Amino acid sequence: MRIHVKPGACQGNARCWSLAPDIFQLDEGGYVLPDDIDVPEGQEQLARRGVRACPERALQVKDEG
Amino acid sequence: MNVDTRVPGHVPPELIRDFSLFSGPEMERTPAGNPQAALSFVHRDFPPIFYAPMNAVDGRGTWVVATAEDQRAVLQNTEIFSSDRQLFEKAMGEPLPMVPLEIDPPHHTAFRALLNPLLSPRRVQDMEVGARERAVRLIEDFKDRGYCEVMDEFAFPFAVGVFLQFLGVSDDRRDEFLGWANDQFHGDFEARKRAMRTVVNFVQSLIDLRRLEPKDDFVGFLLQAKVEGRSLTDREILGVAVLLFLAGLDTVAAALGFSFYHLARVPEDQRRLREDPELIKSAVEEFFRAYPTIQPVRQVVKDHDYKGVPFRAGDLVSCPTQLSNRDPAEFADPDTVDIARENNRHSAFAFGPHRCLGSHLARRELIIGLEEFFARIPTFRLKEGSVPVTYGGYVFGVENLVLAWN
Repeated sequence: MRIHVKPGACQGNARCWSLAPDIFQLDEGGYVLPDDIDVPEGQEQLARRGVRACPERALQVKDEG
Repeated sequence: MNVDTRVPGHVPPELIRDFSLFSGPEMERTPAGNPQAALSFVHRDFPPIFYAPMNAVDGRGTWVVATAEDQRAVLQNTEIFSSDRQLFEKAMGEPLPMVPLEIDPPHHTAFRALLNPLLSPRRVQDMEVGARERAVRLIEDFKDRGYCEVMDEFAFPFAVGVFLQFLGVSDDRRDEFLGWANDQFHGDFEARKRAMRTVVNFVQSLIDLRRLEPKDDFVGFLLQAKVEGRSLTDREILGVAVLLFLAGLDTVAAALGFSFYHLARVPEDQRRLREDPELIKSAVEEFFRAYPTIQPVRQVVKDHDYKGVPFRAGDLVSCPTQLSNRDPAEFADPDTVDIARENNRHSAFAFGPHRCLGSHLARRELIIGLEEFFARIPTFRLKEGSVPVTYGGYVFGVENLVLAWN
C-alpha cells in the first residue's frame, strides 16, 4: 500500500503522526515529509486511520496493495 | 442598528440570515448554557454559506461559512481570502502586524518555517515536565478544600504558567501576568488597551535585555533568527509575542473550562477516563471538536464566485469552528459527544496555513490538566447551588465553574 502526500497540503496538524509515528514521519517543524509513503505490510489498517485523521485532506491512499 | 447598511449590494437577499456569534440566545452570558450546541441548528435551517449582517466584526456583517468542506476551501485559499486584518492597529491606533497570523503566503511561509520548530509536537514533549509540575502545584493548593473555581484557580494560572515557561520568564511574574491577562480577556475596552500596552512594553524590555545579555530563550532565538535573509525587526518580534499572548491564554483556559464542565455534567465520561486513561487523548480531541471557541475571519482580496456565492473584494468571511465541528457531512452524529470518536478531523485549530501554531502545546496542556486532575481529585461535580455562566463572542468561554468533590 502506498500513500500519496499532496504537495503543499500538509499544515502540520500531525494527526497522522500521533496515530502512527513510524509510518508518518515529520520534519523539524512538525510537517509530514513530502515523499509518498510505502506502508510496511501488516500496518495498512493503522496507515488508513492516519490518512482519515488529516483535517486538511492532505493524504491519499494510492495502491490498496 | 440598521441592518441594511451592513449588507453590501452584491449580497443576494435570499442568502441573508439572522445570525451572530456575539448576540442572541446563548451567545450572550447564559446560566448553564451550551453555546456550541446552540449553533448546530444552522446545518438544518440555513444555506451552507450565508450572509450575517449581525455577526458584526469591525462594525460590519460577515459571510458565514458553515460546512467543513467549504471552510477548508476558504482557509486553504490564501490568494483570495487574506488573513491580514490589522487587528492591533484597529484596536490601538498604531500598526503592529500579528506575526505570522496577519501575513499571507508567500512571506508567511518563511515566518512559519522559523516558528514551527518552537512549537512542534517534539518540542512540546520537552516542555512536558515543567508543565506537569505547574498543574500539580495548582491542584495541590485546593485539593483538600473539596472544591475549586476551575477558571481562576486552575485553567488561567496553568495556561499563563506554561506561557511563561515557553517565554523563559520566571514564575515570580505569574500573578502580574495573570492580572494583564485578566484585563485583556475580561476587562472593558480601556482596561484591554492598558493591558495590551503593558504587554508590548514588557516584551520590548525582554528584547532590550536579550540584546545586552544574549541567552537561548524565545526572545533570544528571535533576535538571532533570519527570515528571507534578514534579521527580524523589533516590531516583528513584538508582533509574534503579542500574538502568542492574545491567542494562547484565553483559548487554552476556555478549552480546559468546557472540558471540565462536560465532565462535571457527564459523570459517566469521568468514570471511563479514570478507568482507562488511554482514552484521555481521544477525549481531548472530542472536547476540541464539540466545544471549540474561535471563528477565523478572512478578508476577500479578489472577487471570487464559489458555489454560486459572490465573494467580493473587501467582504469579511467568517469560518466558525463551532459550525464546521458539528457538520453532519463531516461527523457522524455531530451533536453527540463521544470521547472515543474515531476519524476526528475537527477544525478547532482552523484549517490552512494559519493552522494554530500552538495547537500541539494546547493539546498537551489539556491532556496534562485532565491527567493530573484525575490523579489527585476524586469524582467531581458542579458545586451545589453554583451555576456556571457560558458565553459566545470572539472566544467562547465559561465562568464561575465551581467543582466540588468528597
